[in-house]
Parts: sequence; structure tokens; C-alpha cells
Amino acid sequence: MLGRLRMDVDTAIDYYDDLAKQVFSASKRWPGDGKFKATKLEELIKSAVGHVTGDPEQPLLEIGDTSVCRT
Amino acid sequence: MDANIPVLFRTYPSRETHSGCRIWEAARATSAAPTFFKRIKIGREQPFIDGGLGRNNPSRVVLDEANTLFRDRPIGCLVSIGTGHAGIISIKKPGFLQQVFPMDVVEALKAILTDCEATHEDMQRLFANSSNLYFRLNVEQGMQGIGLSEWEKLANVEAHTAQYMKRKEVDEKLASVVNAIKFPKTQVTVEQLGMGISLIN
Repeated sequence: MLGRLRMDVDTAIDYYDDLAKQVFSASKRWPGDGKFKATKLEELIKSAVGHVTGDPEQPLLEIGDTSVCRT
Repeated sequence: MDANIPVLFRTYPSRETHSGCRIWEAARATSAAPTFFKRIKIGREQPFIDGGLGRNNPSRVVLDEANTLFRDRPIGCLVSIGTGHAGIISIKKPGFLQQVFPMDVVEALKAILTDCEATHEDMQRLFANSSNLYFRLNVEQGMQGIGLSEWEKLANVEAHTAQYMKRKEVDEKLASVVNAIKFPKTQVTVEQLGMGISLIN
């Protein structure tokens, strides 16, 4: 969030707070390979990426300005 | 899977860039904390598991990467920020958990416990002769009782952190960090620090 999405600290905390609340408040009935729903986490990450970059499927590799911080 | 090879998810071009990876996939892979979320597969790669590689404190990896990218440039400073979680993850007694989770996951959990502080000690040795280049901030007290998934305790995390930052030695350290970032020294490169060998291992 702070790196590739370049959020400021307060915005990152807001997003994290919301994400953690939604992901960790519902545990899976059968834990198997992980206690919490990875699909829920994925959905929320994509939504945050979509909000910030305009495209939830935005590639990790940043093309263009090379002067910015590398993360 | 081979848990000994760390994968770096880079946002910048490099000889080893993980091509075609999306932001959400990298975020998902790096939050695949053992027992919390299932692993993720990206493209045709092996599944990723977070924290199983003994790289929970990435200081060494960062120095190695900086050495590759900026070989001749001096290092300004290295600021390492801990999550204050050392010691909170307890391994459940053998039985249910071990039947459900594969052994490499259980091993990964154990690795996290010792990894962070050991790397910090390595860094202290590496920077022993270079004052005000390496800083580690970590809220040691109060976070032990707060689990990774306890989102409702964020206010407690904030309170413990504020308490930590009020301590005299921490306040002084923060002033030194600000100074090191604003007025970087230029006397030593990573290579000069690094004993001429790869820092990863």
C-alpha cells in the first residue's frame, strides 16, 4: 500500500483497518489449509488496487518514471 | 515446494523480475501467512507461502538488492521497522493442527520466531563500525498479547506504539533517523560493508 500504491500513511491505515475487519471477522467453518477466506482477502485487495490505480488487474511492474522510490 | 529460495516481488525492472505478476497477486502471496490463508499460485510457478523462508526481517535481502542496483553509491541509512510481534505466535500442541497443516507450514511458523531478531543482530555486527547508518525500531512491550488476526485491537497497537515512541532513547533514535535521512553520509558502500560475499544465506 505504501510502496507500489503510494498511499499516504493515514490512507493505508484506513484501508488496512477495513480489510482486516472484513477478512478476520469471518473464519471458515472447515479451516483446512488456512483459517480465513483467501477469496475474501483477494476481493478486498483487488478493490483497493482498483480504487487507487483504476484497474484491479494492474501489473506489479511500474513502467515509466525511474526516479521514484523502488519497492 | 522448495522453501529455501526467497522470491522478491519487484515493482521495477530487474534481471529477475517476476514478469506478468499483478499487484493483487503479489499482495496475496506476501500475506499467505501459514495457517491463515491458503497458498497462492502465480502463473506456472510453485505455490507461495509467506514467512516460510526465514526472511521475515528483509534487511539482508535489501542490502543485497541495493548492492546489485547501486553498486558504487554510498549507503545513506538502513531503517528497519519491526512489527513488535516476536514471540506471539505459539505453536499448538501436536494433534489436530499437525494433522491438518502440512509439516513445512509448521516448520515455517517456527522459523518466524527466531528469524527477525537474529537478522537484527547480524545487522548490528555488520554496521558496528559505521555509526548512525543502521536503525531498528520495534515495539517490544505490549504487543505480545495481540494476534495477527485481532483487528479489533488496532487501538491497543496504537497506544503501545505511542508509549514506545515517548521513551527517551527511542525519541533520540528517531531524531538520528531523521538526521540520517535528511543529511545522508557518503562514506561507505554496501560492498565495503558486506565482506565481499553475498549477504543472502
